[in-house]
Amino acid sequence: MQSPGAHPDRRRVVLYTADSGLRRPGAMVREMFEDLASSRGLAWQLLIRDIRARYRQSFFGIAWAFLPAILMAIGCTVANRTRVVDFGETDIPYPAYVLIGMVFWQTFVDSVNGPITGASGALKMLSRIKFPREAVILSKVGEALFDFLVKLIPVVLVMVWYGIAAPPTILLVPASLLLLVAFGAAIGTLLAPIGLLYQDVSKGFGLITRAWLLLTPVIYAMPGPGTFGTIVRLNPVTPLLMTTRELLTTGSVSDPLAFAVVAGLTPAVLLGSWVAFRLAMPHAIERMTS
Amino acid sequence: MTMAAQASPPPDVGAEPTRPDPDVVISAEGLHKRFCRDLRRSLFYGVADVAGELTGRRRARHSLRRGEFWALRDVSLELRRGEALGLVGANGAGKSTLLRILSGVIKPDAGSARLVGRVAPLIALGAGFNPILTGRENIYANMSILGLSKAEIDDRFEDVIAFAEVDDALDAPVQTYSTGMAARLGFACAIHIEPDILLIDEVLSVGDTRFRMKCRRRLVELRSRGTSFIMVSHNAYSLLNVCETAIYLKRGEVVTSGDAESVLRQYEEELSLGGDISDAGVLHLPERPIEESYGLDIRSVRFRGPDGEPIDGPVCGEPATLCVDVFAHRPVPEGDMAVMVNALVGESDRLLSMSTNLDSVSISIPAGRSELRLHLPYCCIAPGRYSAKIAVREALDTYDQVDSFRFTVKASRVLSRSAFFQPRRWEVGEAQSP
Repeated sequence: MQSPGAHPDRRRVVLYTADSGLRRPGAMVREMFEDLASSRGLAWQLLIRDIRARYRQSFFGIAWAFLPAILMAIGCTVANRTRVVDFGETDIPYPAYVLIGMVFWQTFVDSVNGPITGASGALKMLSRIKFPREAVILSKVGEALFDFLVKLIPVVLVMVWYGIAAPPTILLVPASLLLLVAFGAAIGTLLAPIGLLYQDVSKGFGLITRAWLLLTPVIYAMPGPGTFGTIVRLNPVTPLLMTTRELLTTGSVSDPLAFAVVAGLTPAVLLGSWVAFRLAMPHAIERMTS
Repeated sequence: MTMAAQASPPPDVGAEPTRPDPDVVISAEGLHKRFCRDLRRSLFYGVADVAGELTGRRRARHSLRRGEFWALRDVSLELRRGEALGLVGANGAGKSTLLRILSGVIKPDAGSARLVGRVAPLIALGAGFNPILTGRENIYANMSILGLSKAEIDDRFEDVIAFAEVDDALDAPVQTYSTGMAARLGFACAIHIEPDILLIDEVLSVGDTRFRMKCRRRLVELRSRGTSFIMVSHNAYSLLNVCETAIYLKRGEVVTSGDAESVLRQYEEELSLGGDISDAGVLHLPERPIEESYGLDIRSVRFRGPDGEPIDGPVCGEPATLCVDVFAHRPVPEGDMAVMVNALVGESDRLLSMSTNLDSVSISIPAGRSELRLHLPYCCIAPGRYSAKIAVREALDTYDQVDSFRFTVKASRVLSRSAFFQPRRWEVGEAQSP
């Protein structure tokens, strides 16, 4: 039991007004980092809760994390072998290329989806209790990272099978992967409040990811110049995903400049999404609950 | 507690207010909130609000857009350390909206609220409970949402399970719990956060009577340590037990505020007078053709005062007589009259069940018109709206019955903290040996 005055929150003063949070930027930034700090413990608890619940009610358990990537890899490999489609020349054996690519792609999609599904799943809680809403995002991003660790099992197996020796650049993979996840989470965070209001977001996002996958060199090799190649190169996920895969397998980065640009922009995009999320959430929650 | 009427200058938004009273934990000034019932339009306004927020243009607004109404209008309140404030009002009066603004879940459209210290809502019990996980796992998730760190939860864990009385089911999934058990666990989590301000929304009705008593004791304990409460309840008596001051909200506006007893009294009187009262305390029934009659017809029902004069309804604590005017086509030598009273608002449990049969009294009704009278030396039921079912029978035959005679019991004195009026007298006498 605590004695009065012992808790640091005891003197914490909050002020709620109608004004946009942007009118008091100093207070807003301070609150953002306070909430981020205090949401870590909660995010961890939510992460544990969600992962436990997911595997307790599932027979195949962790296999769900990598089954889609394996099936996709098998399908594409068959299509490539039989020359139904030409996926181009890859630096590493094609099955390994597509499996590893799919694992990174799936992790990216999970990072976008996490904040959207997290916010709608926690709506009841969000509508009744004020807690650092960042926790919902952090726990879902944590879940995407946890799933990535599970997905590493087939990645390691396929690399051993095809005798792909990991280059020293493998040490940079976590940093590059975090950028990929951060970029996905930034998009998801931006869409989460709108996703609470309109079902179109989650429905539309399913469609968009399928199209987006085709514009990213996941199942095919980097295309040459041309309209399609330009579109693929302008896709911000391309350098993040390509570079992460190259750091893991070949060790030579094909387009370091594009990677540097996207890597530099990602923190800014993430910060912007975070601010928008904080400002928009009370309004989205208000409209969806009574 | 100061109220809306005595508006003090609004706090200086942005700059640090000039040395506020350190004992004031909540001060809200002129809170407004508008809602829209049309979902499509509401979503559109939501997007517009988000846009205003993101461009920094959003400011206090005192006007409504098309299709909107005020869910809260110019509500102010101030709460000091250790004080308890009750919120009463019909459904949709804005009570929950006010709590949600104070807890920071939604933003006001105008006005401001300043809160000091840790705020805990006793609103959604068991928010974040996952039915698949065990009670133990859910305690950690739930209390984290309410703002405790892992270490703080570890400290309180034993207290929580002792309070919730679920120890043998602690490692079973919450979906196997009974409703009462889940609610107890949720309540135990919420009440062990030791907040500075506790917002309580209609949750004290969980569990059985014994558990409710325990919850009350715990609330009293928290209060003695300086926790302030804002409490919403439909039940005036549970509010009076806890709160000294109250606010009565009606359609988003403060009707009255101040001393809890007088606020609640006004609320109850308005509640009992509002609505469907059309008769002036008398119910007339149309005459019935003889072929449709079972031999005795009820013509009218009314209350009369002690001297036989017609009255609108009984007054709490004073004598009254329920008079049933009947017409008998033939004598009924061993009649039985039964009166069952239900409350119209709140719990619709039977309040009173009276019959000549139960009292071993037999009434003999002659042919023609007569008045059957039920004398109440004191009307003991609390002020409010009631409905009586009145039947005249003989053995198993029902001659006639009135399904709902609605009447109002008026207040003569404040029935403070009592569920009914107890007739009584006091005295000082000589000491008696045992």
